[in-house]
Amino acid sequence: MNLKHRIVSIAVCAMLVSAGPAIGQTPAPAQAPPAADTPAPPADAQAPPPAPDAPPAELKTLDQEVQGLKKDVVDLNKDLFVLQEELLFPANTQVALYISMDVGTFFALDSVTVKIDNKEVKNYLYTAREADALLKGGVQQIYLGNLKVGKHELVAFFTGKGPVERGYKRGATINFDKGVGAKYLELKITDRVPKHQPEFMIKDWE
Amino acid sequence: MRRASLAGGLILGLAVGTASIAAAPSIVGKAAPDFVLRGLDGRNLRLSEFRGQVVLVNFWTRSDGDSRQQMPALDRINITYQRAGLVVLGISVDEDLRRSKEFAAAMSVSYPILFDTGTAIGKDYYLQKMPMTILVDRSGVVRYSAVGFRRGDERVYLDHIRELLRE
Repeated sequence: MNLKHRIVSIAVCAMLVSAGPAIGQTPAPAQAPPAADTPAPPADAQAPPPAPDAPPAELKTLDQEVQGLKKDVVDLNKDLFVLQEELLFPANTQVALYISMDVGTFFALDSVTVKIDNKEVKNYLYTAREADALLKGGVQQIYLGNLKVGKHELVAFFTGKGPVERGYKRGATINFDKGVGAKYLELKITDRVPKHQPEFMIKDWE
Repeated sequence: MRRASLAGGLILGLAVGTASIAAAPSIVGKAAPDFVLRGLDGRNLRLSEFRGQVVLVNFWTRSDGDSRQQMPALDRINITYQRAGLVVLGISVDEDLRRSKEFAAAMSVSYPILFDTGTAIGKDYYLQKMPMTILVDRSGVVRYSAVGFRRGDERVYLDHIRELLRE
């Protein structure tokens, strides 16, 4: 059921969202009719004063409709994203790689290069803001791809500034078995306090 | 008869030339493709991190005479308008990174100079001739693009910059 039904339901959703305003609203007349409950102005009065109460109510309804539409679009976008992930990176071949950093006293991250089975799959340069975000506890998905079931080798090269502000380049390797389910790996940069050196590890999340 | 055929050929050539110019892709009106590049000072800068500011991106090469004239003009613009929210980024697309760095250091401009040795950014921005200058508005959309540089062009840049800063 899954994929076909989902695509159909998302397409229906998209149609509803696009047709939303047309369905939800009654067709606006070319000219606004005079309010029925307002008393008729005297014949000798000049131009009728604008009704102060009517526009805010209309605007409120319109605003609610706009908010509803925005929510629909956000929901639809979420569904499409999930669908795209499922189509492009099916669970049986999916490999996701994350990076996290702890403390960072002995290492300032500049770039990461990732090779899987000796083929470069990612080279990422970090700005100061991104490195700060990692130091504050952020976890970044650095790579998402597909791999066949079987044995694979992942090598990550970390470049940055090490202790005493010197250029520092280190690598970490992991040999892992890709099963039928999705594979999650994490590159971890931590401080090894006794040696005053950074430590680079790759963790295999089973 | 001969003159007539020559004139016909000329008109045809001009028409073809005009068509090819018109067909050249433009990035104006599109979202500025994001990039992250290493700067002369070793810092990495990402274009999308300047969202909310007006960004002038100047692609240049060391060998181009126009770039040598343009950089001091952009430096003056940067010094004057950076407090108003303008960011100027110079991007060298030279293949020779070492010489390019030497050149950038010698020019000693006040805005960051970044170095691109790949081809992806050139393709994304349809780089054809150097220098190329683009203006990105606060929402990240390219609003102006200019190829080459002549004295007085900085006034055109300033008109666009002021307009974008006012938005």
